[in-house]
Amino acid sequence: MSIGESIFLFAVAVTMAGALTAVFASSIVYAMLGLITAMFGVAGLYIYLNSAFLAMMQILIYVGAISILIAFAIMLLGQYSRKSHDFKAVGKLLSALVIALVSVVMFIRFVLTNLPGKTAPNFLMTTKDVGRAFTDTLILPFELISLLLVVAIIGAVMLSLNSRGDK
Amino acid sequence: MSNLLYNNSNIYLFVAVFMLFCGIAGLLYRRTLIGMLVSMELIMNGAGLNIVAINRFIVPENPYGLAFTLIIMGIAAAESAIALSIIIIIAKRYQHIEGGDMKELKY
Repeated sequence: MSIGESIFLFAVAVTMAGALTAVFASSIVYAMLGLITAMFGVAGLYIYLNSAFLAMMQILIYVGAISILIAFAIMLLGQYSRKSHDFKAVGKLLSALVIALVSVVMFIRFVLTNLPGKTAPNFLMTTKDVGRAFTDTLILPFELISLLLVVAIIGAVMLSLNSRGDK
Repeated sequence: MSNLLYNNSNIYLFVAVFMLFCGIAGLLYRRTLIGMLVSMELIMNGAGLNIVAINRFIVPENPYGLAFTLIIMGIAAAESAIALSIIIIIAKRYQHIEGGDMKELKY
């Protein structure tokens, strides 16, 4: 096994461990940290998929924006997440078992029986091609994303300011 | 070259499926809305990884999968902002953020 394969398996293991932590951690802060770990692992997988720009955007947007947003939510609303009446360990065990079984079945069915998979010799799409696609063919979705972000900002501010809460 | 572990598509698709199932189980298992939001972000990450792997291995001659994954990232950012403001309103209204007791839309 070469060093590249070892690092790739490490990225896969980091992603899967982060996903499991984000779901089954008892504290919500640990769940957020597991989500950040999974996002970093997915960024490593993007680098192995020959799209380094997407890995950088993953780290910037997901880790740098969305995780910080979730951290703000946890800090603002930590008092409201009341001490929940104790989790049914049966449900936890059952959902973990369902995830494990379905993933193992799909792993055996689709991966291990066909381990070489579909290989691609070269992937020549670079950042230049992505930018050209965004400014040539996908110009309407590009502008609609900017409109969506503006509407989301205005909506979030209006919702947070004008809510007739019981404060 | 082509039989290296990171040059075949199945392991990427398996990781994407694993993240999808983890997200679904988190949506079922978590009680607070923030935990559900974390699970939603996991699902979106898995979808992006799936799309990029398909674009790399099955249609390597156009960049639309990468562009669509960037669009997914923008939509996820907007969705997180809106969802967190709604969670703040729910916390003001109900004094807790657990999803079980919310039965009315008026606030």
